[in-house]
Amino acid sequence: MLQDDIQKALVPLNLELVTAGDYGKTGCHLEVTAAPGQMPEVAKNMLSLGCFLESLTGLHDPEHFTLVYHFGNFRELCRTEVNVKVPLDQEAVSISHIYPGANWYEREAYDLFGIRFAGHPDLRRILLPFEADFHPLLKKFEASSGDA
Amino acid sequence: MLERGLEEKTYVLNLGPQHPSTHGVLRVELEMEGEFITKADPDIGYGHRGHEHMAENRTYAQFLPNMGRVDYLHALAYNQCYCMAVEKLLGLTVPERGEFIRVITAEMNRLCSHLLWVGAYLMDLGAFTPFLYCFDDREQLLDLLDYLTGSRLTYCFYRFGGVPVDIDDDFTTGCRKFIKRLRSRWADYDNLVTKNVIFIHRARGVGLITQDQCIRYGLTGPMVRGSGIPYDIRKSEPYSAYPRFDFEIPIGDRGDVMDRYLVRIREMEQSLRIIEQALDKIPTGPIMAEKVPKRIKPAAGEVYSAVETARGEFGCFIVSNGDVKPYRIKLRVPSFGNLSILPEIAVDTLVADLVAILGSIDVVVPEIDR
Repeated sequence: MLQDDIQKALVPLNLELVTAGDYGKTGCHLEVTAAPGQMPEVAKNMLSLGCFLESLTGLHDPEHFTLVYHFGNFRELCRTEVNVKVPLDQEAVSISHIYPGANWYEREAYDLFGIRFAGHPDLRRILLPFEADFHPLLKKFEASSGDA
Repeated sequence: MLERGLEEKTYVLNLGPQHPSTHGVLRVELEMEGEFITKADPDIGYGHRGHEHMAENRTYAQFLPNMGRVDYLHALAYNQCYCMAVEKLLGLTVPERGEFIRVITAEMNRLCSHLLWVGAYLMDLGAFTPFLYCFDDREQLLDLLDYLTGSRLTYCFYRFGGVPVDIDDDFTTGCRKFIKRLRSRWADYDNLVTKNVIFIHRARGVGLITQDQCIRYGLTGPMVRGSGIPYDIRKSEPYSAYPRFDFEIPIGDRGDVMDRYLVRIREMEQSLRIIEQALDKIPTGPIMAEKVPKRIKPAAGEVYSAVETARGEFGCFIVSNGDVKPYRIKLRVPSFGNLSILPEIAVDTLVADLVAILGSIDVVVPEIDR
């Protein structure tokens, strides 16, 4: 079972939480919480098990950002959700050297939330114009005719 | 392979944003050395409308019409994925007949998308006639979907808990007629395109993608199936009524442009098989769940649901904090991941090949930009 393999591979990393998820309710088989600095190690383990990065996104919680990584697998159905809390004034750590596909997802998170990724080779805006001076998915952002 | 001289120097070539082969507003900055590309940098975001921001500022039901406008070519799959996610949050079950109608219409929409792709792609490669054949066939489907849903392109047909309109005999007869018609056309398509020597020379061995690249870039859909990975959400993570039907997942073996073309062509026949079986087996009964709340206000929690669109995996990740508006909706669109491999596979190819590769990814740019 892939789910057991992933769990086994992640336990030695001393992550905050590695637990089975309620697939019927959340669509995820495994739920993991990690610190920003642990993310490259997690990604390396996921890649060695043949998982691909399904999606990466941010959440702007009042006290901190949460990065949500979803990993899937082509051979066996097992979706792993990794939550990483990033304090508002700190950087996350890039995994684009492990998953090149993460390059664009990290640029998107930077573009929409202003989250910086240490070690990213090319952290430019991706969807918004390069000269934009706002991050639209921050909760304090309000689109109005004046901003548009 | 041409031998590269010493006096060549690199220059920058702008492909797009207004270029017929970029299928929407996509710009690719190419660094060229003679005829060969040394670096390709896609510039996306020209059609960024802020769907994810809009989601946070309207109720669940108000956001539903947006889903038809993210990927306008396979809008019903997006409708379905979003409805599935909200239904999971609310704990709603769609009645069997509702699921069947969803499958029939979503597969018809997939055929529309593939037919458009075949026509437009071959036009990219210089063949004009197939485009007219494909649009002729697609038009029949659009008429059928128009009859049922009331729109031709940006559908907003599914509801939380089911579908609002039942299918009738006219629709069923029209569908069966169309299946017969499209099947009779496969021979034409084959003779016109698949066996065409010019097309084969443009497509064979171009834009190779390995299975390892599929994993590292998070590719999905015909991109991975062309490379020989039988990954299709309809089978690997069955949803809706798909487990009730007998269909195959066509795969390629080399991972080149030709394989991705053949995968899509063969997928169309499988879609016809699914529609045919669904029309035969459709049960009677209600099409909407009972007790759908008037005011959609799911409990706090999060959900990820995925469907197979014409381009690959569309995932809808919803975080609810118990309010009438979603706290966050992330739209995981297939073309975003699929296009991100372009800088790697474009290197050392000709511009003409880049057009063939870009087309074979089947990008819908407004979907990438969201």
